[in-house]
Amino acid sequence: MKSELRFQLAVAVLAVATSMFAGYAVSQTAPQSLASPESFASISDTDARSAAMFAELGKVLTHPRCTNCHPATDRPRQGDEGRLHQPPVTRGADGHGLAAMRCSSCHKHANFEPGRMPGHPEWHLAPREMAWEGKTVAEICAQLKDPARNGGRKLEELIHHIGEDTLVGWAWAPGGNRSPVPGTQKQAGALVEAWVKTGAACPAQ
Amino acid sequence: MTKLSLTINGRAHGPVDVRDELSMNDFLREYLGMTGTKFGCGAAQCLSCAVIVDDPDGTSYTSPTCVASAASFDGKTIRTVEGHAKGDELTALQKAFIRHFAFQCGYCTAGFLNEGQVLLERLAKAPVKRAALESTIAEALDGHICRCTGYIKYHEAVRDVILADSSRYLVANQ
Repeated sequence: MKSELRFQLAVAVLAVATSMFAGYAVSQTAPQSLASPESFASISDTDARSAAMFAELGKVLTHPRCTNCHPATDRPRQGDEGRLHQPPVTRGADGHGLAAMRCSSCHKHANFEPGRMPGHPEWHLAPREMAWEGKTVAEICAQLKDPARNGGRKLEELIHHIGEDTLVGWAWAPGGNRSPVPGTQKQAGALVEAWVKTGAACPAQ
Repeated sequence: MTKLSLTINGRAHGPVDVRDELSMNDFLREYLGMTGTKFGCGAAQCLSCAVIVDDPDGTSYTSPTCVASAASFDGKTIRTVEGHAKGDELTALQKAFIRHFAFQCGYCTAGFLNEGQVLLERLAKAPVKRAALESTIAEALDGHICRCTGYIKYHEAVRDVILADSSRYLVANQ
């Protein structure tokens, strides 16, 4: 009886430990995947298919890797938790920081992991009118279709911006212990392209 | 490994092989023995480690060295706290810091001095109105942390230097 109890206890501990380590391994090594445009083929209604593809893209657009630099205020956020950027920097006139503290002062051309400092040659904030932080996927969708709030881009240009821009691409390979956005940049670009070609419909919410 | 060559306080250094993970702060302090540049938070939060970077276009800015690789400074021209005074002759800003007793422990002073110097040089090229001076100084020094809370004294010291030569740093009759 005693050994049976001990066995049950050992199994329970093993199960909890296994699930913890499995969860840890998943969160560390397997980024959330992104569905391909083809996987939406079963949705016959074009608008519904288009909206569904954008909703899938929403996994990328609402990820902290994106919203941290598309902030609701003039101050960027950082980390997977989206905490306010420290030191307290603000966007400045051109989105590259104030004269006394430019983004490039700390963010060099590439990541410097000993200092836990992310980097890219063009590190900067998205324009104020392109704020995504705190918005629903539907709101971001409407915003992306509005040239006044998408950086003056035509819809076709968004394919390049999301699918090929190297600063945007950093979000898929952020290095350190930062979570990458789901899927790959190529997959995200394909989703944007398919969304545009199907009429760029927005999800209801 | 990267071959690093740069100019510090007017003197050429390198080429020297440095590890890619070597920080600029360690390069200055441990390789060159230039310990005037401090290591504070190690996370670009306090800027006690900031040096001046002089770009070829004539503009200058400060850069923390604790979170930047030494390799990222290859080909650059920088100034550290050791490069301000000419022999025994201190700069106007250094004298003002002393006059105002702007520093106590002194750990943050190199960063504040570099930032203040960059501001002076920027204002000499693009003067501001007197009404905008306080916010201009505050904004320039904003990122620097002083645990002795000498902020006001640093601010006043920088302001004194500017007002003492107002025709140089401020827009006339404003």
